[in-house]
Amino acid sequence: MFDPYYLQQLAIGLSLGMTYALMAIGFTLIFGVLNVVNFAHGEIYTLGAFAGLVLISATAPPIVAVILGALAIGALAGFSLERIAFKPFRRFTDEASLKSRAMRESTLLSSLAVSIVVREALEIVFGSQMRSVPFDYLINTPVRVGPVILVTGDFIIFGVAAAMLIGLQYLLTRTRVGLAIRAVSNNPLGAKYVGIDTDRTIITTFVVGSMMGAAAGILMGLYYGAVFPAMGFTPGIKAFVAMVMGGLSSIPGAVICALILGISESMATTFVSSGWSDMVAYGFLILTLIFFPNGLFGARRERV
Amino acid sequence: MKFRLLTLTTLAAAGIATGTAGSAFAADTVKLGYQLPLTGDTAQYGQDFRKAAEIALTEFNAAGKPFKVEIVFEDSRSDAKEGTNIARKFVDDKEIVGVLGDFTSGVSMAAAQVYKDAGMPQLSQTASHPDYTKISKYQFRNIATQAQEGPYNAKWMAAKGFKNVAVIAEQTDWGQSVVGGFSDAVKANGGTVAFSEFFNRGLKDYRSLISKIERAKPDAIYTGFFYEDGAQFLKQLQQLGIKTPVYSTSAAYSPKLIELAGGAAEGVHLTSNFLPTDPSPNVQHFVEEWKKRSDGAVPGQFPAQAYDAVRIMLAAVERAQPSPTREKVRDALAQTRDFPGVTGKTTFSADREAEKDLVKVEVKGGAFVPVAE
Repeated sequence: MFDPYYLQQLAIGLSLGMTYALMAIGFTLIFGVLNVVNFAHGEIYTLGAFAGLVLISATAPPIVAVILGALAIGALAGFSLERIAFKPFRRFTDEASLKSRAMRESTLLSSLAVSIVVREALEIVFGSQMRSVPFDYLINTPVRVGPVILVTGDFIIFGVAAAMLIGLQYLLTRTRVGLAIRAVSNNPLGAKYVGIDTDRTIITTFVVGSMMGAAAGILMGLYYGAVFPAMGFTPGIKAFVAMVMGGLSSIPGAVICALILGISESMATTFVSSGWSDMVAYGFLILTLIFFPNGLFGARRERV
Repeated sequence: MKFRLLTLTTLAAAGIATGTAGSAFAADTVKLGYQLPLTGDTAQYGQDFRKAAEIALTEFNAAGKPFKVEIVFEDSRSDAKEGTNIARKFVDDKEIVGVLGDFTSGVSMAAAQVYKDAGMPQLSQTASHPDYTKISKYQFRNIATQAQEGPYNAKWMAAKGFKNVAVIAEQTDWGQSVVGGFSDAVKANGGTVAFSEFFNRGLKDYRSLISKIERAKPDAIYTGFFYEDGAQFLKQLQQLGIKTPVYSTSAAYSPKLIELAGGAAEGVHLTSNFLPTDPSPNVQHFVEEWKKRSDGAVPGQFPAQAYDAVRIMLAAVERAQPSPTREKVRDALAQTRDFPGVTGKTTFSADREAEKDLVKVEVKGGAFVPVAE
């Protein structure tokens, strides 16, 4: 049973799961924790990757500068996204509007609209071809660990995902900003009454979440060596599944579920055709919704 | 009085003249439809096709023919439902006498059902599923099918001494025809297929699949993918330190494959029916025109096929003059013999298949190099 083959598949699964987790963290912060329906996160990811690529082809800066550039674009994109697709729906401040679910869920379409506009605009500007990243920047030099082969990017992604997770957990549980985010998420009207600047809190969350999305985008661009306008779609779906499985508001839950998803997909490839591996994600989504409507980690979900 | 009569006659004559000129103009513009993905996941292909079609059309309209041709482009997003809607739209437009496209076999075949009922000639530059041309006498294609390419590659690999092969392909109508066409030929040549599997188009991580292939210990891997998937596959093959030779179909023949995969593409073998390095004047003319419109990039095989498909259609429209109808264009298409295109000479056989000459190509030193064996 302890065939190195399974170890290799496990390692691949973990690395795949990490890439999902990277995307899921920022996604869960906005969608799950802040409780705002946002379907434009995939395009923030794509924008981050394109920002990095443009920077690389223009000035060939060191990799740290590339990531900082992507973060800046992510912050800007998050701010603009909130402004265009979310803020207009908060202009009615009467109690009925604030409590209205329809008002809150209408951002499903407005964010989707923004995402379509961004994707098509990128297609017009850059073309829909896959663009290659200069090979010096790629983070996929093979590294042998015992019987298993990984690449440098796996370790970098692990480090970045861990840093994001720990940083966000600290922010959400130990700081006043985090408290404000959770308060707004739990009861926007109540938060307003106790004097929390809800607008600012929402904008901050969008900026932080989108910076993480953009960082994920550029890292994945460097990892796979290809950047294209439609690149945000599949990771967006996987992140969504991980978030729902993890119980919507739990970032550690989303990360663990992203890892479970990655490992299941790579292990499933051993037993069924690779063509079916996407079924794993959707299957998990359906099973979670039927048997664990609160998500796997929903029971321990913290609600202020 | 005499003067007035003269004026009237002149006016009347002028009126008749303008009248005839007007109707003559209408008859002198022939409309064609082109359905292709201009947005969505496969937009890069559709946009290339449109570019190639525009080159062909501009040349045709500038050649001083007695009539002009107009092409209506519609975006199918590689979605079968969308493709069928476009087909209905084209069929309803009485002026359209012929249709080009779609890109994928799946969408082309869905749209073909509409064209079959309406009697509209359809010429796809890329649909290579064997069943596509079997739909009706109105379906034509300008690409070698996998029924032709599979056995050709199987023979090539057998000649290299690869008896035990793995085959993978994308999970589409086309991918299935890749596996089918190839596997049957391998078995007929006395070889064995050690491993056979499909993956989803756009899969990013092939490492699980690669580990699984390697477990079957094949002598070589035959692949049915396009350049995006191909580049990822080859890079990850290299990452995992696997040296098994890779063979592929002409679908992967694109300069982008080498650009995206870099050194990992070295030694890949594939077939093609278009070589941008071919010195013949029409190929070089197309390559030059393409470079002008694409920042100096070299065209791959697909744009070349689209360019030829459009020119074949234009030639058919010309032969169907005067006053071409859908039926006349279909018959003219069916009579295409030795059309001198950039992808070689094209003749439509009785079952409307383009008989193409295939070239063996290997990636050497970062370029596609034709090889004898």
